[in-house]
Amino acid sequence: MSGGEVELINLVKAFGIARAVDGINLHIPGGEFFSLLGSSGCGKTTTLRMIAGFEQPTSGQILLDGVDMTGTPPHKRHVNTVFQSYALFPHLNVHDNVAFGLRRAKVGDAEVRRRVGEALELVQLTGFETRKPAQMSGGQQQRVALARALVLKPSVLLLDEPLGALDAKLRKALQIELKQLQQQVGITFIYVTHDQEEALTMSDRIAVMSRGRVEQVAAPEEIYEAPATVFVADFLGVSNLMMAVAEGADSAGRCRVRLGEFELRAGRGDQSMSGNTKITIRPERVRLESHGSSGENRVPGMVERWVYLGNAVQLIVRLATGEKIQVLMQNTGDDIPFTQGTPVHAHLPAEALRVLVDSGVSAPAAKGLDLAAS
Amino acid sequence: MYPKWLWPVFALPGVFWLILLFLVPFYAVIGVAFGGVDPVFQTPVPAWNPLEWDFTSMSETLAGFLPGGEYWSIFLRTTEYVAIALTICLLVGYPVAYYVSRHAGKSKSILLALLVLPFWVSYLMRMLAWVNLFSPTGFVNEFLIWTHIAPHPPDWLNGNPVSVILGLVYGYIPYFIMPLLAALDRIDKSLLEAARDLGASPSEAFFHVTLPLSKTGVLGASVIIALPMFGDYYTPNIVSGSPQTSMIGNQIDIFFHGGPQPSVGAALTLVLSLFLAVLMAYYMITISRAQREAQA
Amino acid sequence: MTEAVVRSRPVTVRSPLRRFLDWARNPWGRPRFLVLVTWLYVFVSIVPVLVAIQFSFNAGRSVTAWQGFSLTRWYWGDPVNSVWHDPTLQSTLFQSLKLAGLDMLIATPLGVMLAIGLARWRGPASGPSNFLMLFPLVTPEIVSGVALYLVILYLFTFIEPGTIAQVLGHVTFSLSYVVVIVRGRLFSIGRQYEEAAADLGATPWETLRLVLLPLLMPAIFSSLMIVFAISIDDFVISQWLSCGAGCDTIPIRIYGATRAAPLPSVNALAALMVYFTLAALGLAYLLFRFMTRGERPGQGGHMVHGMGGGL
Repeated sequence: MSGGEVELINLVKAFGIARAVDGINLHIPGGEFFSLLGSSGCGKTTTLRMIAGFEQPTSGQILLDGVDMTGTPPHKRHVNTVFQSYALFPHLNVHDNVAFGLRRAKVGDAEVRRRVGEALELVQLTGFETRKPAQMSGGQQQRVALARALVLKPSVLLLDEPLGALDAKLRKALQIELKQLQQQVGITFIYVTHDQEEALTMSDRIAVMSRGRVEQVAAPEEIYEAPATVFVADFLGVSNLMMAVAEGADSAGRCRVRLGEFELRAGRGDQSMSGNTKITIRPERVRLESHGSSGENRVPGMVERWVYLGNAVQLIVRLATGEKIQVLMQNTGDDIPFTQGTPVHAHLPAEALRVLVDSGVSAPAAKGLDLAAS
Repeated sequence: MYPKWLWPVFALPGVFWLILLFLVPFYAVIGVAFGGVDPVFQTPVPAWNPLEWDFTSMSETLAGFLPGGEYWSIFLRTTEYVAIALTICLLVGYPVAYYVSRHAGKSKSILLALLVLPFWVSYLMRMLAWVNLFSPTGFVNEFLIWTHIAPHPPDWLNGNPVSVILGLVYGYIPYFIMPLLAALDRIDKSLLEAARDLGASPSEAFFHVTLPLSKTGVLGASVIIALPMFGDYYTPNIVSGSPQTSMIGNQIDIFFHGGPQPSVGAALTLVLSLFLAVLMAYYMITISRAQREAQA
Repeated sequence: MTEAVVRSRPVTVRSPLRRFLDWARNPWGRPRFLVLVTWLYVFVSIVPVLVAIQFSFNAGRSVTAWQGFSLTRWYWGDPVNSVWHDPTLQSTLFQSLKLAGLDMLIATPLGVMLAIGLARWRGPASGPSNFLMLFPLVTPEIVSGVALYLVILYLFTFIEPGTIAQVLGHVTFSLSYVVVIVRGRLFSIGRQYEEAAADLGATPWETLRLVLLPLLMPAIFSSLMIVFAISIDDFVISQWLSCGAGCDTIPIRIYGATRAAPLPSVNALAALMVYFTLAALGLAYLLFRFMTRGERPGQGGHMVHGMGGGL
């Protein structure tokens, strides 16, 4: 893939003494669907705005296809943005909104008409040319914003929570469409969101950000399955974080961890770790067995709460160590024998149990910062 | 929750006040304008019954506004002064409002306070200040002599149209800037970023986004100051005082305070109101629209 | 399409010259021309007034040549020509204060009731009444002045030109301002508090007195002060309804004096008006801030707009 390669080098943005972005290094190869994921105030939008050129970095560099763009004003960057609230010009109709950038680039009238037509076709809005933004639904406005940015054939498209204003159902549909669109046009998408599901669904790779720093950069499966830090594990949904003491690897190379009086084996994460740490397991990976079952990695406990979720049942289990964990069991139609108050044994399979690096949330992410990737 | 009759009862005293002291007085202008003149004392005899209306004063007044008529030149002059003053207000006021709204940054609140300040210094006080400065021995002329820009500076305060126009600008520009500023503040900042993002240079973003979006703001602000400017008589009187620079307002003032022809004055007032009716209607529509938006 | 992207977007390394030009144009900074125009305007709009106030402290008799500082001469020091000792100046001061005070006391309650009534009354006459309320805001003052002058001359002949007529005129144009300010506050507080009070068993009268009135207090106070300020600044209505020298207000006096050879005492009189207005507005602002403390920011916005925007 050539074109649309973005590189951020030691990027810092300070507002007064507050550092919104605190030294970010990222390499995004051309044609990738890349997401910046984090809660509000983590610096993801500021990062995006620096790439677009709306904010000037305090220090560091932004390279687009190997060229330093740090001092280039936004209208001279081959990067276009889909704004959070779309920022469609209320005084212009759909056609003129989409044609705005082409006219700035002094494209001829016939060419403008042709390309606007193409762009509207791409987002399935042919026939809406003369509508004003106010006369369109949120989803349609969103498509206009997309067409308006894509018609300029940018090498990178920046999207700032573009689905945030839409209702859940429409958001789901548009997630799939956006991904298809990105594959169709083949350019780099940099997508800012606080919604982990959105990021996991669409992205090729995700950077999880916290307090102006990148915690982990990886593909969605890896982020979800192998969170590198406590923050990432915590941010990506419920993941049963438990305080534990690691005692180094055993003969099989798995980490020996002590959870209260129980000694467990953890087959994932940094297995040579020792000392106080946190371990995690996804709710859907915990196996509940009837009380008294034995074997490795089994901890007794009691079902405290039973919540029906429709496609699954969520159980809150209090372990004998005092920790509370969530267990997710698929609703297969069979009866689930573990009602409230049932004593059980929770099986935390070693191959699903992960030892985490506790970065103290704000600590720099030592792991997963794959500058040299691709 | 509240009894139904409560709200009309609340509104009633105010509504009656406005009927008695706004609508009825306006009808008094009509009555006098279409009334007769007492043959002995030459005083107006108002006609309250529309069937008894006498159209003499009115038709004479209207005829005066035709080219070559009695009021033709004064009408032209008024329009000309107002138009030039409006243009200057726009040329000075727009950049100021634009800067304070978009780029003032940390100094925005102090600038806002400074822009609001002239609002609350009486118009007459500001005119007094202006006259002090431009008097033959005032600072302006001393400065012109001292710097040798004009060794014999003009007499600003006797029939100088430049002074009248500048006086109008000085008097009314605060009322132009503030509503325009409010209109510019309402423009979503992300629209400008979108324009820049789509390849517009700062000036293109201004001309293709900010300017068209502030059109109604400019129009509203212009109407707000055009209305009192058309009715102004004190500004030309204070800074010029010469018939050479008098405006329609001066003419009305003269008919009431200078000559015994209130019926002509009333007719002239009526013609002025009709002439300004479009502007007034526009202004009222914008106010009620703003109120509906606040309500929503 | 990717091929096209690459071809249509040739990227060049920025030369040192380009870097310099970008720096000079300062694409993220403030346009320097606008900075200049703005501060120049602020200077020109305010400095003449400051100069005029300065001359109210002139030790000499000139309003254009500075002859030394005297704090009190033209306010009360001069036994003949100071504001306090010149009977015509003193009476204009009192006339202005009297009109502003009476206007405040009449227009504010009337306007508050009108605002509440107009905002909530849904009847056949509510639309036209709302419309009527806007008229005084858009009518050029000379038209209102002529109309009031003629109506007391030919119809309400029991009213003489003079203080009473002036007060009636001032209340008429102040009313709409009160309505605009109070209505803004009414919309920003909404109906929820009153509904809560009714839900908790308050009678309509109690709801009005114990919930709505206290919530409207900030707007009522700003109305009082703004009415005071616009009344004391008014020239046209006061002039058309004046009975002659006896009911001259400060602006009328200034108007008369500018064409003659004015003494600094006129500047002192005008300066007093500025002090009064600014004190009233400062008080209104502080009270408004004090009374709406703890509310979400932005709700006080209509105060600024009531004071500046649109009016």
